[in-house]
Amino acid sequence: MELYKLQASELSQMLQNKECSSVELTKSVLGRIDAKEDQIKAYLSVDKEGALQKAQEVDDRRLKGEDLHPLAGIPIGVKDNICLKGMPATCASRMLENFVPPYNATVIEKLNQTDCVYLGKLNMDEFAMGSSTENSAFQKTRNPYNTDYVPGGSSGGSAAAVAAGEAVVTLGSDTGGSIRQPAAYCGVVGLKPTYGSVSRYGLVAFASSLDQIGPMGRSVKDLALTYSAICGKDPMDTTTVSREYPDFTKNLKSDVKSLKIGLPKEYFAEGVTADVKEAVMKVAKEYEKLGATLVEVSLPSTDYALSAYYIIASAEASSNLARFDGVKYGYRSPNYANLEELYENTRSEGFGDEVKRRIMLGTYVLSSGYYDAYYKKAKFTQQLIQQQYADAFTQCDLLLTPTTPDTAFKIGENVSDPIKMYMNDLLTVMINIAGLPAISMPCGFDQKKMPIGCQLIGSKFSEQTLFDTANCYEQLVGGFDLSATLQ
Amino acid sequence: MAYTDYETVVGLEVHAELNTQSKIYCSCKNAFGLEVNTQCCPVCMGMPGTLPTLNEKVVEYAVKMGYALNCTINPISKQDRKNYFYPDLPKAYQISQFDIPLCEHGYVDVLVDGEEKRIGVTRIHIEEDAGKLIHDDSFTGTLVDFNRCGVPLIEIVSEPDMRGSKDAKAYLETIKSILQYLGISDCKMQEGSIRCDINVSVHKKGEPFGTRVEMKNVNTFSGAVRAIEYEADRQIKALEAGEEISQETRRWDDAKGVNFLLRSKEDAQDYRYFPEPDLSTIVLDEDYLASIKATIPELPNKKIIRYMKEYGLPEEDAGLIVDNMEKSALFESVVGMGKVKPKNASNWILGDVSRVMNETNKPLSELNIPAENLSQLIELVEKNVISNSTGKTVFEEMLKTGDAPQKIVDAKGLGQISDEGALKAIVDEVVANNQKSIEDYKNGKTNALGYLVGQCMKASKGKGNPAVMKELLMGHLQ
Amino acid sequence: MKIDMKRLAKLSKLKFSPEEEAKFQKEMENIVAMVEKLPDIDASGPLIDPDNPMKMRKDVPEKKFTRDELLKNAPEVQAGCIVVPKVVD
Repeated sequence: MELYKLQASELSQMLQNKECSSVELTKSVLGRIDAKEDQIKAYLSVDKEGALQKAQEVDDRRLKGEDLHPLAGIPIGVKDNICLKGMPATCASRMLENFVPPYNATVIEKLNQTDCVYLGKLNMDEFAMGSSTENSAFQKTRNPYNTDYVPGGSSGGSAAAVAAGEAVVTLGSDTGGSIRQPAAYCGVVGLKPTYGSVSRYGLVAFASSLDQIGPMGRSVKDLALTYSAICGKDPMDTTTVSREYPDFTKNLKSDVKSLKIGLPKEYFAEGVTADVKEAVMKVAKEYEKLGATLVEVSLPSTDYALSAYYIIASAEASSNLARFDGVKYGYRSPNYANLEELYENTRSEGFGDEVKRRIMLGTYVLSSGYYDAYYKKAKFTQQLIQQQYADAFTQCDLLLTPTTPDTAFKIGENVSDPIKMYMNDLLTVMINIAGLPAISMPCGFDQKKMPIGCQLIGSKFSEQTLFDTANCYEQLVGGFDLSATLQ
Repeated sequence: MAYTDYETVVGLEVHAELNTQSKIYCSCKNAFGLEVNTQCCPVCMGMPGTLPTLNEKVVEYAVKMGYALNCTINPISKQDRKNYFYPDLPKAYQISQFDIPLCEHGYVDVLVDGEEKRIGVTRIHIEEDAGKLIHDDSFTGTLVDFNRCGVPLIEIVSEPDMRGSKDAKAYLETIKSILQYLGISDCKMQEGSIRCDINVSVHKKGEPFGTRVEMKNVNTFSGAVRAIEYEADRQIKALEAGEEISQETRRWDDAKGVNFLLRSKEDAQDYRYFPEPDLSTIVLDEDYLASIKATIPELPNKKIIRYMKEYGLPEEDAGLIVDNMEKSALFESVVGMGKVKPKNASNWILGDVSRVMNETNKPLSELNIPAENLSQLIELVEKNVISNSTGKTVFEEMLKTGDAPQKIVDAKGLGQISDEGALKAIVDEVVANNQKSIEDYKNGKTNALGYLVGQCMKASKGKGNPAVMKELLMGHLQ
Repeated sequence: MKIDMKRLAKLSKLKFSPEEEAKFQKEMENIVAMVEKLPDIDASGPLIDPDNPMKMRKDVPEKKFTRDELLKNAPEVQAGCIVVPKVVD
């Protein structure tokens, strides 16, 4: 068995038992990267030397008998919008092509405590704006199931790397579905954590009130392991919540008895393909067989979620991305005679079209005369949506829905129509608007032989229930089958 | 042109830097005058991925000022982003407060020509300062120093309750003295730690307010006076010439003493304020607010009026004592002992005590002037135990040794002699030796009296009570 | 909804060729039309979330970064400062 194919939980055990070393494992994954990157193009930068050096250090310490974290020596890939001191953080934008952060994100500081191995930085849609990773200024990542297809986005590199065996686990970020949608498209598992459970310090902001960093992997246990390492209150991020964050792997169950699973009818409406509906309903039936109760619930304001999402996310983005002005860091246009030209040329040359659209939408909805009708109304709509989800969770423990209306589409298929692209986010944005946790896990294939993902949505801080429920399904199907992409 | 027909209306926005240890949204040191770009970090330089964290001291100081200016404190408030591009603003937005400031609906009483006048305070909010642009001809561009980015500011916005530059000056000085009393700002004009924007309009008396013009870049109080007078004059001239005043922003050039158009109403910036999503809500509970309120001392504007009313001090003297918290504390202790006249205490403090503080450049706490000793010294003079000039000698000795004045007087035998019997011999002797002066006096040279009293003082080795000796001399002269 | 692209581009600090402007104009109008789908609700109150009180930071200064580290990504540096085209403020 090739080491790169294994899961973190398995590898952790093997490393502890000295059945393999971290150097062997890291070499195996780096070898896989060498073999697959020409086709997949998941990475924007790979730090071979740093990875092997860290692996060696971990092996040495293990030999000395040190008690190490389960993630010690496990090779991890990081989305390129998360700051890792001394490594580029381009956000897949010309604007930050040469930017090397002088500090670590809090999640990196936390992962450093585990002694994991960093492989490199993963491709994404520019500034995490997009649903296909086609908005990267540098390269198009391909879906490991079929390289004619997109891997989804914006964390397309993170999803593709895990699916193709180019990383054991990865970090992504999710503002409107950017972890779950690519996880669904690439047949892997991804968690969008409860807003406020993972620090955003060092995550290059897209939409501050919606962004969350989360793990992506090939098993639920790997997500629980990684999430346990990165979550927690951070004094550097006042929006993180202070509470007990347990080790989510300790009590990982695979039991859904007496669980009430809600099926919101709005999520199975028009636009969701028959294949997707069927696959998700099949999962529901399996849970029912195992002792769960299925209840139909309604979330009528679902209709407004996409509007509220695009208004709030773009408003915040327009402000968050204003700092890219060619003054302090990143790209500066060579063509300017005065300050105004420096600003305009730098931003016009440094940003891609999708980023420009979002900046303009955000600027528009905040500008004088439009603020009340768009931004403020969207924020009140958000409260309405949050209330409806809270009500739904009085009737059930969690919700089961499709992650996306359809499976992955072909590269280039949606690029000319921004609105069609936005519709990909229809079923995921609500969760960010409501600040809830959700897992996307694979649940079969459609007629195109592309993976289908289903979404488990919980109330705030119900990650343990989500892990247990997803783990139950994973155990039932004997693990998620990624043999096709790991070959 | 009848200028006196017009009234000038002034509203002020005062920005005061707070003297916290660290910056408002990061842990960088809040310090002035250090080497460029050495008091910075990824947060205050607006690096991608960084987030702000609010310094609790900034909130405490703003609330203090709120209470001092009789404001309502909002127990729940938030911060907002003000978006605009400028090289001194690294994030391209300033974190400020928009619709729910920490403090609002306050007022402050100021003294104008001995009369109390109430000026409304619309609001006080917290925000971050911007960096500094350095314009130097030896460089082809403008240089940016980020040290000042994130220095905490409070903005105090007044109602348009001032009429002319005199009111504005009194208001600014009162605000400054309150900031200093609370110990929350250094108020160093030369370091730009207080700056203001001024709104000025004029109208004919009895008519509605005119259109207001905002003036930026006023960095001194004397500049504010000149700027208001210049702008009022400009507006009155324009109105008299039949022009209309347009709502605009002008920039004050203090060196040239003129202002010029910065932007017209049509070019007004669209700041696109919205709630800062990186910071959660500021929630202040009752106990916290009560504990802050309890720390507010009697404020200088109130104290001046009390000194005038209670102790009969003239406004100027009261102002000079109150202006310095140590002098004011000393004054109150001395007067509180109830042994001396307040005016005498005030004279000593504004005279010799102030002189010594200036000469030594030391705070009172490091000088040998405890209230008991100063009270005793003044009492000795008041009771004619020593003369005023001997008092000054005793004061110097007290400074040197720290001994009590009575002890010094006793040890050096400086006590004043007022007993007529004891002084008669001295006066008689002086009269006998100075017959020429006696004649002069009798011939109308009245200033000869002063000379004779001086001779008596000399002969008594300074201990004779000059008033008694003068009385005795008069007996010889009539 | 007709969008004033000149004003929007100016506020966003972006500039477009006439062809680009036409393309973006159309896209932006479609996107704005899409996001207009919002419920008819009262949105007059203040936007504040009293349920999430903030834990504030203690006022303790710390120095963790050198000037060189912080200016390493800067496009143009002179005399320890970032340089921009001449401005009068």
